[in-house]
Amino acid sequence: MAKSKLEEINRNIYDIKNKDDYEYKIKKGLTKEIVEEISKQKSDPEWMKELRLKALETYNKLKLPTWGPDISELNMDEIATYVRPKTKLNSSWEDVPEDIKNTFDKLGIPEAEKSSLAGVGAQYDSEVVYHSMKEELLSQGVIYTDMETAVREYPELVKKHFMKCVPVNDHKFVALHGAVWSGGSFVYVPKGVKVDIPLQSYFRLNSPESGQFEHTLIIVDEGASLHFIEGCSAPKYNKVNLHAGCVELYVKKNAYLRYSTIENWSKNMLNLNTKKAIVDEGGQVDWVSGSFGSKISMLYPMSILNGKNAKTEYTGISFAGGGQNLDNGFKVVHNAPNTSSVVNAKSISKNGGKCTYRSLVKITENAKNSKSSVSCESLMLDDFSISDTIPVNDIQTDEVEFSHEAKIGKISDKTIFYLMSRGISEEDAKAMIVRGFAYPISKELPVEYAVEMNNLINLELEGAIG
Amino acid sequence: MNDININETPIRTARNFNINNMKLENIKIPNKFNKFENVEISDIGTKITIDSNVKKTTLKYGLGEFFIDQANSSSNYNANIVVDSKTSKEIEMNFKLNTCNQNLVDNIEITANESTKSTIILKYETTDEVEAYHNAVIKAKAGKDAVLNIIIVNLTNKKSNNFVSIENILEDNSKINYCIVDFGGKNSITNYYSNIMGENADNKLDTIYIGTDNQVFDLNYIGELYGRKSNIDIEVQGALGDHAKKHFKGTIDFKKGCKKASGNENENCILLSDTAKSIALPMLLCSEEDVEGNHSSSAGKIGEKELFYIMSRGFEKKEAMKLMVRAKFNKILKDIKNEDLREQILKEIDKKLD
Repeated sequence: MAKSKLEEINRNIYDIKNKDDYEYKIKKGLTKEIVEEISKQKSDPEWMKELRLKALETYNKLKLPTWGPDISELNMDEIATYVRPKTKLNSSWEDVPEDIKNTFDKLGIPEAEKSSLAGVGAQYDSEVVYHSMKEELLSQGVIYTDMETAVREYPELVKKHFMKCVPVNDHKFVALHGAVWSGGSFVYVPKGVKVDIPLQSYFRLNSPESGQFEHTLIIVDEGASLHFIEGCSAPKYNKVNLHAGCVELYVKKNAYLRYSTIENWSKNMLNLNTKKAIVDEGGQVDWVSGSFGSKISMLYPMSILNGKNAKTEYTGISFAGGGQNLDNGFKVVHNAPNTSSVVNAKSISKNGGKCTYRSLVKITENAKNSKSSVSCESLMLDDFSISDTIPVNDIQTDEVEFSHEAKIGKISDKTIFYLMSRGISEEDAKAMIVRGFAYPISKELPVEYAVEMNNLINLELEGAIG
Repeated sequence: MNDININETPIRTARNFNINNMKLENIKIPNKFNKFENVEISDIGTKITIDSNVKKTTLKYGLGEFFIDQANSSSNYNANIVVDSKTSKEIEMNFKLNTCNQNLVDNIEITANESTKSTIILKYETTDEVEAYHNAVIKAKAGKDAVLNIIIVNLTNKKSNNFVSIENILEDNSKINYCIVDFGGKNSITNYYSNIMGENADNKLDTIYIGTDNQVFDLNYIGELYGRKSNIDIEVQGALGDHAKKHFKGTIDFKKGCKKASGNENENCILLSDTAKSIALPMLLCSEEDVEGNHSSSAGKIGEKELFYIMSRGFEKKEAMKLMVRAKFNKILKDIKNEDLREQILKEIDKKLD
């Protein structure tokens, strides 16, 4: 009983719905005038305004994808692409308006900042409302700031990298992002600097019928290392909300970046996000991803291994419940000799939810002596859910070791019987097995986030099995 | 013809992955088909009948409308094969394409009636250096408790184009075992679909292919499981040298209601040159909880250690490679009981790897 009460409280954390109180909300729709107005509101430099308008042109030319979930319910005429909350960017939580601070308090962000993070960024609707980093990182030359400040204060660095890893013509929703982006984080870790404690950015969308289009740009310079955590959530509304963020990661020679995400968008959210990393010689990017929320998700982080000996690992789990269609996966391009990739993807479908693992492993002619190993496992918790695995393996040279394996099935009756014979109830036995199934992912997260992920699994499982 | 998408996957993925379908370029499609008379058929006995009464056909998948329409309107060889034998019977149909019989559009229907056992061998070969055209539509149905083995061997030359659409229906407790040996053709494009509707129905599909020069293989295999405790096993072993290219698209689709069904798919491609290309899309689609589905896919060159071991026994590198490829293929070829045919295939493997 106590357990179920606790879970109810936890669920409420994500559903906190503040009054739709903003300083400025742009009218719904997507026109040249709207994009120009966003650019004006954000005091863009000329190059950024041009990029936005070019992206809008590209958006209008590109077609919707002919594959994946049906996103025809998305009507840009019903989405406000820019909502500025009633506050400026603050460096102290005390200066953040009470209702917004309360939301982040309940999500545990300030507490996590004190105990386990080296820096935090918090975005509310379209603007970052809080940003702070530990003094010692500042003195080492680490830059961690909101994207708008970066555009203003580090123009050359930003201009050189902004939408170069993910070009605006990548797909329609990248073009949309390029036109209306707002908020997000910029991180630069100088050569040789090891950031041992993670940085975290948290994205909260409160306003109904709106979109969030934050841009995250991270450059980890030669020999440096960083763990970056991204969290996101929103309260549920009856109409569709849209998230079309963009993450660009540059991992330089012998650098290391771990990018962890716990995504728990509300179940009216279309999550059409794009994430890509370019990895230079000897560098490594690891993706850890837990995907729990959203009505529809189309998310395929990508690593481009451009330098010899570059590496990447992807460890991800998707958990789709009733009404959810989570089309997630991973893409990797091996484009240099001796590169390697390891993929470990899991999915759980229940209550009529649909999980799809969609992927690409491409090993080009340049990638002699490369290795790639892919494993995906899908668990079905009932007979009216759906689970699909759609991997593409494109091997263009012989000097490779490539293997892919996938499994699909339900929880083994024998295992449940075994646990029940040890005095565990059927419901607890199944929950235990599911947590064990997710363990390879949760063990990759810092302990606080692993706990959050386990709580999310418990919430999702409540009433789903047994 | 250049603009037609053919051999489409049942579910699309991103267009820039270049695997949803294929477009054919510079294929000469003949517009006239004289009656095809160069077919050798083995002794069929009295329990198997062959006539030319083939109905107009529709296929759930197939290579595409163009090829099915062509089979309906212009086929120059029809065979309606009906098996009534309860003891194991084998028939072999050997289609020989040559300058006088350059184009073949064959429409073949195979019905294995209840509790029958049979093996049908369909061999297509070119006997001279003609640029042959082959479009086959093969429909097979296995009645209750029937066992039907179908062996398709493509030994056409590398100037020819080979198109095959296959559709199978499996009733309760039936088995259809396919062995496809795909060596020939400048382009060899196959669409294979099984409707595994029967309880305990079992479908096995083994394929071997070897591509050399600029050969292109596009294999699109789809198994839909509807029956309780039904099963499909897909095993594909191939080798690619020179600039050869292969697309393998394998789909195991567990439909709602196929409780206790299982499906396994294993695809392995040996790359014999650094310019050969292998693209694979092994899909598992699942709308039923109580099933077991597995797939695995691998690609790479022959292991250095294994090669070294064989070479240390006095074999030259090329011979050692041949041995390794033959070993991979043998687990499929051992199921071909017709020794002459197996010998011919082994010789062809050696020829292609020389």
